[in-house]
Amino acid sequence: MAGFVGRRLLSVVAIVWAMTVLVFGIVHLLPGSVAHMILGEFATADAIATLERRLGLNDPLWLQYWRWFSALLRGDFGLSLTMDRPAGPLILEALGRSAILAGISIVLVALLGMALGIHSAVKRGSVEDQVLTIAQYVFIAIPEFFWCILAILLFASWLGWLPATGYTPMGEGGVLRWASHLVLPVATLALGLTAHVSRMVRSSMLEALDSHYVLAARAKGMPERVVLWRHALPNALLPAITVLAIDVGLLIGGIVVAETVFSYPGLGRLLIYAIENQDLPLMMGGMIVVTAAYALANLVADLLYALLNPRIRYGGAA
Amino acid sequence: MSGVALARPGRRWPASLVVGGAVVGVIALLAILGPWIAPYPPEEFAVLDRLRPPSAAHWFGTDEFGRDVFSRVLAGAHYSLLMGFGATGLSLLVGVPLGMLAAFHRGWVEEAVMRGVDLLISIPPVLLGLLILATTDPGLGKTVAAVGLVYVPIMTRLSRAVALGLLAEDFVDAARARADGMVRILWSEILPNAWSPIIVETALRITFAILLGSALSFLGLGPQPPASEWGLMIAESRPFIEEAPWIGLMPGLCLCALLVAVNMVGEGLRDLLDPRMRGRGHG
Amino acid sequence: MAEQPLLDVRDLSLRYPGPRGAVRALEGVSLSLSRGRVMGLVGESGSGKSSLVMALLGLPGTGAVLDAASMQFDGLDLRQQAAALRGRRIGMVFQDPGSALNPAMTIGAQVAEPLVRHLRMSRQDALDRAAALLTEVGIARAESVVRAYPHQLSGGMKQRAVIATALACEPELLLLDEPTTALDVTVEAQILDLLDRLRRERGVGMLLVSHNLGIVDRLCDDLTVLYAGRVVEQGAAATLLAAPRHPYTRGLLAAVPRADRGRMGRLAPIPGGLPDLTRPDPGCNFRPRCAFALPSCAAPQALAPQDGRLVRCHRAEAVGLAPLPGVTGAPPPPPRRPSDAPLLIATELTKTFRLGRPGLALRGGRLALRRPAELRAVDDVSFHVARGEVLGLVGESGCGKSTLGRMVLRLLGADAGRLRFDGQPVTDRPAVEFRRRAQIVFQNPNSSLNPRQTVEQALRWPLVRFGLARGAAADREVDRLLELVRLPSSYRARYPHQMSGGEKQRIGIARALASRPDFVVCDEAVSALDVSVQAAVLNLLSDLRDELGLAYLFISHDIGVIAHLADRIAVMYRGAIVEIGTAEQVLSPAYHPYTEALLSAVPLVGSGGRAARRVRLTGDASAVPDGAGCRFAPRCPRRIGGVCDTVPPPVRQPAPGHRIACHLPLETLAAIPPALGEAA
Repeated sequence: MAGFVGRRLLSVVAIVWAMTVLVFGIVHLLPGSVAHMILGEFATADAIATLERRLGLNDPLWLQYWRWFSALLRGDFGLSLTMDRPAGPLILEALGRSAILAGISIVLVALLGMALGIHSAVKRGSVEDQVLTIAQYVFIAIPEFFWCILAILLFASWLGWLPATGYTPMGEGGVLRWASHLVLPVATLALGLTAHVSRMVRSSMLEALDSHYVLAARAKGMPERVVLWRHALPNALLPAITVLAIDVGLLIGGIVVAETVFSYPGLGRLLIYAIENQDLPLMMGGMIVVTAAYALANLVADLLYALLNPRIRYGGAA
Repeated sequence: MSGVALARPGRRWPASLVVGGAVVGVIALLAILGPWIAPYPPEEFAVLDRLRPPSAAHWFGTDEFGRDVFSRVLAGAHYSLLMGFGATGLSLLVGVPLGMLAAFHRGWVEEAVMRGVDLLISIPPVLLGLLILATTDPGLGKTVAAVGLVYVPIMTRLSRAVALGLLAEDFVDAARARADGMVRILWSEILPNAWSPIIVETALRITFAILLGSALSFLGLGPQPPASEWGLMIAESRPFIEEAPWIGLMPGLCLCALLVAVNMVGEGLRDLLDPRMRGRGHG
Repeated sequence: MAEQPLLDVRDLSLRYPGPRGAVRALEGVSLSLSRGRVMGLVGESGSGKSSLVMALLGLPGTGAVLDAASMQFDGLDLRQQAAALRGRRIGMVFQDPGSALNPAMTIGAQVAEPLVRHLRMSRQDALDRAAALLTEVGIARAESVVRAYPHQLSGGMKQRAVIATALACEPELLLLDEPTTALDVTVEAQILDLLDRLRRERGVGMLLVSHNLGIVDRLCDDLTVLYAGRVVEQGAAATLLAAPRHPYTRGLLAAVPRADRGRMGRLAPIPGGLPDLTRPDPGCNFRPRCAFALPSCAAPQALAPQDGRLVRCHRAEAVGLAPLPGVTGAPPPPPRRPSDAPLLIATELTKTFRLGRPGLALRGGRLALRRPAELRAVDDVSFHVARGEVLGLVGESGCGKSTLGRMVLRLLGADAGRLRFDGQPVTDRPAVEFRRRAQIVFQNPNSSLNPRQTVEQALRWPLVRFGLARGAAADREVDRLLELVRLPSSYRARYPHQMSGGEKQRIGIARALASRPDFVVCDEAVSALDVSVQAAVLNLLSDLRDELGLAYLFISHDIGVIAHLADRIAVMYRGAIVEIGTAEQVLSPAYHPYTEALLSAVPLVGSGGRAARRVRLTGDASAVPDGAGCRFAPRCPRRIGGVCDTVPPPVRQPAPGHRIACHLPLETLAAIPPALGEAA
């Protein structure tokens, strides 16, 4: 188990490092000079030369990479070009806000998705199951940004129950104000993913219910409740964890969209801002941080999987 | 039973496949015929007809420049289709050969391919798209390429797993026992049996490819205005969402219809081709 | 009035509605079992024997329609009470212990569960009792096994745990569905001994489902033979097995190759296959396959008493003891003389598999290089196969016999050793001519044929590939091949899923023969088939050997099959050949201690549990780590001492061509009494 954790930690480090190479490589190797990208297409040759000198763009690439990478290791993400402030604190602050959004959503998705999935597996073939199945079909397929538009239209414009956009820190407007800004983004994020998770949980639950060990538990005279909760469920949860890990990837995409639509000042919106304004240090730093967060989320999922799976927890004979 | 999936002739086609297929077919047909059946030129401004609600003259209403939303939706249909099918096609084109190669040449080839896949798969899909689109000028081709790249590692993993499973089947050993070469084995033993699991997985991916592509467009990283990509149309409608919700709702509903239909095709294909979904229960 | 039977079933019918009409899994089945007795339930796959067991438990599956005149357990109606009785008074043991145990629960929790539930024991008491139960079923160190998960146990241990679970609440009736089919024969023998002991010591009644008549003979008092959902013969096991009356029962017995009979020429297969269970057949449903069928057999048949048992055949008396066609009708074959010229010589072949990948691991807080574990699948193996000779290779699962089979065809590279074929060395990338002359037939008929190819495509390609025929000549050749394997040429257009298991296996054989080879590796070629079909394929293989002068390396775990077909036999244990010689030499003393154990473990029909002497091994092959000495030493009942563990065993030669790798002196080996029961 210690070896397993060690290997997985090592792979997180490897992934984040590889991402620094990838981000740096794409930004610096693609046609078109970096200075050009920053200054736009109408920049004079003079201005470009000045900027290139200032940013050290004429140095060999490995030296530029090393400068940037070693700074990263010290926690220095460079200076945001557009805001003239260190990118690091900007990114971390935004990350915190996004993490709240992501955390609430994923917990909601996990609980709701599992409950619905288990329910429809147990009631296989019933009207409820069929309605849920159709709903899953539809909800998986509808894009978050369309939910966002609908949500704003319904709850903010027509009903006026909730603020459409923006963010209020907890310290300023109290918990309720703070929470009111979270409701719509979380709801739109959770809808599609819950459908996805519940669909997967349903199928892994069905697989467990059709297994021989469940039949054996019934043959032992175990009541249906025990068969369900003690025998089928623990085995059905393992694939659910894998699905949740995949959905964290989808969630990150959703967060970028939802933060943009709801003007929520998180990392996703910061990233889009950086891309739109060609703020390279901000963009590169943001991408590295998102990758690291994703890798850590996957690490947690792997550890959870290992913790629940006796095959990994106790190696032993195959 | 062996792991080889096989569609038995004469099996009933799942309803979801038929319905979904029909809707996708109609949308594809409209996308092709769009230029001829569109009531107005999709990019024609009509200042007098700004922000008109849906009516007999303008089925889906008009936008802030007086452009006919229905005509624009028709003209934009091909973007979503291209992003979905083009990107998954691209990922198949790259991923399947890579996966097969990795399955066939165990050792350093496999190691190199699979570590690359591991890395790509560890990057959140949207980030991979953003990374490519942020550094180059956006456009339809770029979006298709970016979304395709996101699914290359998944296709590689899948086709390697499928090929590995098939390579362990006895009929492949029978082929090797008569000195058949790699090309012959791949072509007549592996591929004919590999396509059905790969098709199933591909069909289920198309939904996510369209979702990702339109999300990128929505963020302004896809086709650029005045293109009427549906995600972009929705993004552009945001300032008028209260005044003229139809500008965003109409392309949005069309996009949803397409996505649900494509998803239905994927699920239907799975029911048809995937042996694991069949014959549940003991007898 | 006689004592009330423990289990009494009258006229049980079970139907599964389906799209093509209801499948009649069981029709009018009646049986009755007294306390402490064991009834065997025998039939081939599809006979409905498992469905019957699940119906008795009240778990016939979703949609099943059950109908019975009476279905009683100790006077209680099973149709209402099954749920309350199962696990408490009726225990169940499944075929595959690997899938019957919950992978996410400890063994202890699973054994203790019914105790807590049904006997209201406290958790700790239940766990203590679970350990005691595990000890009782022969698991050593039960206290640690209680905390283990299923994947940490071997197959035999898992089955013991399943039996312990079934026994937990001291049931009066145990239902056993093929309890040893998934296990190796030496482990099977241990489990059968255990069941025998439980019957004697606890007086548990048992209903034992099996396709293996030897097991039935070993354990059962009574016997019910099922064919396609109907009871065809029922009575005392000894009576039925000694003198079966129903043509199906007779056919089953005649189809089994037996280790104690050696090479007895042809077996008697039962032609044809199971009837379509969706089409009700009021008459005898065995008649399409029956050698004695008359038009009158189309009339409904009653289960009628005859010769001290019940038989569902109106011709049973008339046919009486008339020989089954093809059994005694054929004269014993003339003794063949395979040539002595070696066709294939394997010398010191070795293959090691790495388990897992090398990598970095944290050990004690420090990074260390992790070396993957290694498995010596084939260890320094040498043997030869002569022209036209059948070398049988027998061993339990995981002993490396299939690996060896693939190595002699160079389908799997060897780490060391040499291979010669027809005087020429065979390299790792053999010449096309070697590929043409050396072919393979596989175990699993579902995996051995490409599902996307028709029979014609499968058979034609090797002809083209090796330049043997093309065009019209290839057409004629495909017909000849189909004729060789006794299939009509209309099969050319069929896909694998349109054929039965036996037919697929024939196509696999035809494909191997297409290139006109003179050496064929048969890797468990009949193991996946039902007895009646297996007999037909075995006959085919032995005919082809005689017609075409083929040499086989015949790999099987079934010593009966090997004894039936092989000229010489090699016994393999954990990667090494421990004994090799002619069939007569290997099947009679002197033995290697493992051969002795293997032979005495085989349940034989006719020995009736009377087998004079049983050698029982403990544990199983996989539980033993690699050592420098004899591979068999840790389980060997005749182990001498430390020398067995540390020094590789020397090769003893009791007779020319007979080699035994063992530390025991030749005299001791020769003095071992015969391990196979005398043929009844």
